[in-house]
Amino acid sequence: MSKSLALSLRNVGAFYWRQAGYLRKERFWALNDISFDLHHGESLGVIGRNGAGKSTLLQVLAGILRPDRGELVNHGVQTALLSLQIGFVPYLSGRQNALLSGMLIGLNRREVIEKMGDIKAFSELGDFFDQPINTYSSGMKARLGFSVAFQLDPDVLLIDEVLGVGDSDFRRKSSAVMRDKIRSDKTIVLVSHSAETIRQLCDRAVWIEDGITRAYGDTSDVLSFYEEQLTT
Amino acid sequence: MLNARYRDLILYKTLADLRAEAARTYIGFLWWVLDPLIFMAIFYVVFGLLLRRSTPDFVPFLLIGLVSWRWFQNTITHSATSILGGRSLMQQVYVPKIIFPLVVILTDLVKFGLVLMLLLIYLWLAGFSVGWTYLALPALLTTQFLLILGLTLLVAAVVPFVPDLKYLAEHALQILFYFSGIFFSGASIPENYQPYFYLNPMASIIEAYRDILIYQKWPHWLALALIAVLSMMISFLAYRWIKKNDHLYPKLARR
Repeated sequence: MSKSLALSLRNVGAFYWRQAGYLRKERFWALNDISFDLHHGESLGVIGRNGAGKSTLLQVLAGILRPDRGELVNHGVQTALLSLQIGFVPYLSGRQNALLSGMLIGLNRREVIEKMGDIKAFSELGDFFDQPINTYSSGMKARLGFSVAFQLDPDVLLIDEVLGVGDSDFRRKSSAVMRDKIRSDKTIVLVSHSAETIRQLCDRAVWIEDGITRAYGDTSDVLSFYEEQLTT
Repeated sequence: MLNARYRDLILYKTLADLRAEAARTYIGFLWWVLDPLIFMAIFYVVFGLLLRRSTPDFVPFLLIGLVSWRWFQNTITHSATSILGGRSLMQQVYVPKIIFPLVVILTDLVKFGLVLMLLLIYLWLAGFSVGWTYLALPALLTTQFLLILGLTLLVAAVVPFVPDLKYLAEHALQILFYFSGIFFSGASIPENYQPYFYLNPMASIIEAYRDILIYQKWPHWLALALIAVLSMMISFLAYRWIKKNDHLYPKLARR
């Protein structure tokens, strides 16, 4: 492997508390034993069924949660989860929300202001951009959310399912730029329950079940193993 | 403590919340004035007209107590759920959790500032002129701010761990309300109870406001200094606690 390491996980586990009767909480290990490496420039697909721990894994990679056991080694990269409509406040304009949301996802105030023209143009909101977002349709809100989130350019971008959002035209457009971004030499972790999406977009893949790494390697190998296991 | 991005974020979020709150109703930010006015009017009717307290200058006496108290109570109450209120946010991006209570502290500070201005205007119109003792006002405001900061951060820090404490805090505030000398002066209670009365920092603070604004007396500096120092210690400990558990709060918010 010639590419340099971005993140390495060794036997990572993370738990939540869940209610186990009155006044009693128990630990629920959403991640049990996850190990893989992420290299610079790689697109890594994470596949697994609902409740397999995919979203928790992204939270660990994004630095939102810390592993409760095992080790996550960050080789000096900044990671961020692609989050749409983060911190949107009703009654504020699209522009004000774009600033607030952009600052929340990790941009500086100045950076968001510089990118405001791009955000407005990409969202295709026109005059609505300066209207309060409680006057928006859900499709318009999705457009604004995507346009802001897409401005963030971390070393490692973490994506949870969402590729395209909004009404059909915008969905096509947003999905296209997202796919371009994933195929470029950006480092990406893409979570999906669709083997097809991962096959199209990712060089390498990891299969997770019950919080355990079941397989890790080249996409085609992992996916054929995954599909073989699912059908039996 | 916090880098420039998070400082900008706190300020902008405060502005955004205030704007959104003002935009939510027809008369907007006038509610920030009207709300305390109605609250104070009720107490004026009950204690100023019906019960006819014999304390001289009872109306300014009462209003000063209520204004100072409301700043204290509102901020603490609002902050109790501030960290859990950011649950969907903190599941998706990493932000230092201290941001949530700090935004609450700032929004309530702005609203208090507005009410304080009105109180001062009322006092001047009522004939209580500005004296030398006004020089002590910034120190007193800072002391109360530190007290609020400390207790607010403390409540915000622990409530996510034991949500039941929110109710306990509300009851504690309700009790404290009656023991802070809002309707009576410390000097008017039996002498053997007075030392206990002054264990409540809000009692000393409210008395200090009255000394400065009505009686043109200097406040009890030692009491204020003690409150300020203790509050800074509590603020620091609560800050450390929130920072230490920064990655635990998203987990607590999930249950």
